[in-house]
Amino acid sequence: MISSLKKYYEIEKKRDTLFKTHIEKEELLKTIDFITINSNFMTLSQIACADWIEDEVFTLNYILTTDRRDKNLMIEVNIPRVDSKLPTLLNIFPQSEVMERDLHEMYGIDFIGNSTLYDFVLEDWKEIPPLRREFDTLEYVNKHFNFRIGREDNRDVKVEIKRRRAEAKRLKNANK
Amino acid sequence: MQTNRELIKIFHGPQHPGITGNMSVELDLLGETIKEAKTHVGYLHRGFEKLIERRTIIQAFTIVCRICVPEPDPNEENFARAIENLAGIEISQKAKYIRTMVLEMARLASLMLWMGGQSGSIGLGTIGQWSIYDRDLILDLFEELTGGRVYHMYIYPGGVRRELPIGFLDKLSQLLDHLEKRLPLYDNVFFENSTFKKRAIGVGVVNKDEALKNGYVGQVLRGCGIKRDVRRDNPYLVYDNLDFEIPTFEGCDVYARAMVRRQEIRESIKILRQIVEQMPTDGKIMQKIPKHRKFKIPKDDTFVSVESARGEYGFYMAGDGSEKIRRMQVKGPSLIHGFTLLEKLLIDEELSNVALIMNSLGICPPEIER
Amino acid sequence: MKDIDIKGVISPFSAIAKLFEQPNTICYPAEKKSVPKGYRGFHTNTLTSCIGCANCQDVCMNNAIDMIPIEEDKNPKNSSGCIPRIDYGRCCWCSLCTDVCPPSSLKLEEDCIFATDDSNNFLYMPKDK
Repeated sequence: MISSLKKYYEIEKKRDTLFKTHIEKEELLKTIDFITINSNFMTLSQIACADWIEDEVFTLNYILTTDRRDKNLMIEVNIPRVDSKLPTLLNIFPQSEVMERDLHEMYGIDFIGNSTLYDFVLEDWKEIPPLRREFDTLEYVNKHFNFRIGREDNRDVKVEIKRRRAEAKRLKNANK
Repeated sequence: MQTNRELIKIFHGPQHPGITGNMSVELDLLGETIKEAKTHVGYLHRGFEKLIERRTIIQAFTIVCRICVPEPDPNEENFARAIENLAGIEISQKAKYIRTMVLEMARLASLMLWMGGQSGSIGLGTIGQWSIYDRDLILDLFEELTGGRVYHMYIYPGGVRRELPIGFLDKLSQLLDHLEKRLPLYDNVFFENSTFKKRAIGVGVVNKDEALKNGYVGQVLRGCGIKRDVRRDNPYLVYDNLDFEIPTFEGCDVYARAMVRRQEIRESIKILRQIVEQMPTDGKIMQKIPKHRKFKIPKDDTFVSVESARGEYGFYMAGDGSEKIRRMQVKGPSLIHGFTLLEKLLIDEELSNVALIMNSLGICPPEIER
Repeated sequence: MKDIDIKGVISPFSAIAKLFEQPNTICYPAEKKSVPKGYRGFHTNTLTSCIGCANCQDVCMNNAIDMIPIEEDKNPKNSSGCIPRIDYGRCCWCSLCTDVCPPSSLKLEEDCIFATDDSNNFLYMPKDK
């Protein structure tokens, strides 16, 4: 089955039961239709997204499984980080509705054709989508929350070691 | 006289004794029949996927177990296996056997908790008292092995963290004997109870033809007669050396899924007895791995999955060449069951069956919204 | 006539036998359960071995450990003069700090019960054992 797909796509074998291929975003719907009809990879297991800010892309992986659930195929698509859009898979797989809602809220990706892209987990969220790399959680926490008092006597150990060594040297020189 | 009946909107949850976690279902009722259902989550969002991005691998391993509350060990196993795949580490046979033992014990504990929840949802409070006691005995064994009762932090990338204590395997055998003696009690009061059969047969019927395409996993498939289990289809650890059956039941309803889980308790006990016999006596439990700020994983990605007590649990992980993980995305079995399947099953159901169906599908809100 | 499931109606009554058995609960605090060795409880620190290297502070992923100066030097090898103090509002008892301690002076004991009426009281100085 994999050998028949290799005639049309470049498929890399990552492990015994895990395969990967890379396609352009314009061919996404056509590829998924073709693979689900002409091979055993008929279920969508997960839509995973990673943010590569240094290359200015989001990398989405559509992970398909066979009907015997013994092999997985990762279909990788790169989309730009600004104005990210992709067609929805709602008509092929009903389970993609909630996965796309999750990615829309966390990354800000717009899935064209999916009308259920409202709040999934966060309520009344006014900042940028939180899983993007430019969202700094430490800065958000420092702006919105107060830390408890009582821990101000923390010392930096490296500074203390230098200070004590300098002190010991000064005492030794003074004694000479 | 014409009665004017209009739809009433109520929120079932997030505080409700029949629910398996904190989530709510917004229901539109006509009398007592549900016309539309919408799931709301977000009460348990702790932001694990963002927390992981600021921590090194060894620091991240300690918080991964907290993603799922009733059964933390599949998370640890997925995390450890993904790191081992990316970094190219092989673990010893003894570590594999110990990890399998921990995963099966966690499966037993989770199924005991399920029994308490499912019987509580039909009003049978007695079973909850008994099954929580049995689960407590399993947690006592975990306390001796790992140092903690619920969150173990034991399955480490590279092996396991501590050696087996002396006499542990004997205590495990005694516990399995005790559990086998208790099983007829649960059968008499719960599984063969005619009230339960009347409540459960014909309720929450899943469409068998679209079950595989829609991505359902676990007991939802096995309760429709479709035999799928990651331990048999895509084996990991030492499951290809062990002899066990995958139970299925025809019927596609709540009763069929309960019968599948009843049989899975017996299969888990059988697997644990084989592990006690086959446990290797020598071998390292932990491979040598670099110190925490020097443990770097290459720029690559992978996908791993295990069979938890509720279904197939998957992790996608991507590294970027530094000591921090670039992305870890968690996909639990409840993501699809809690939204697509639940909203479909609740249409034209009675209000009193909502908790019954939610417990039967095994929906665990912490793993939906990590 | 409808089929009556006689076994399904009668068998649940076997639970009545439990009325004559001893309950499984432990009457705490009159009886206490034995805690096994190796349980992850509170921290202890052997001050004559602690070298003040702050490895525990570096690995703690909740930033729960502070290094504070000690009044009298118990260990001449302690080059920074500081010992760890742990914020129990943040600690998750993962025991990574005990794994990375080079002289193995920081350990976890089996005691785990602490109650206070002041919510600012969770900064815990490990006992010297």
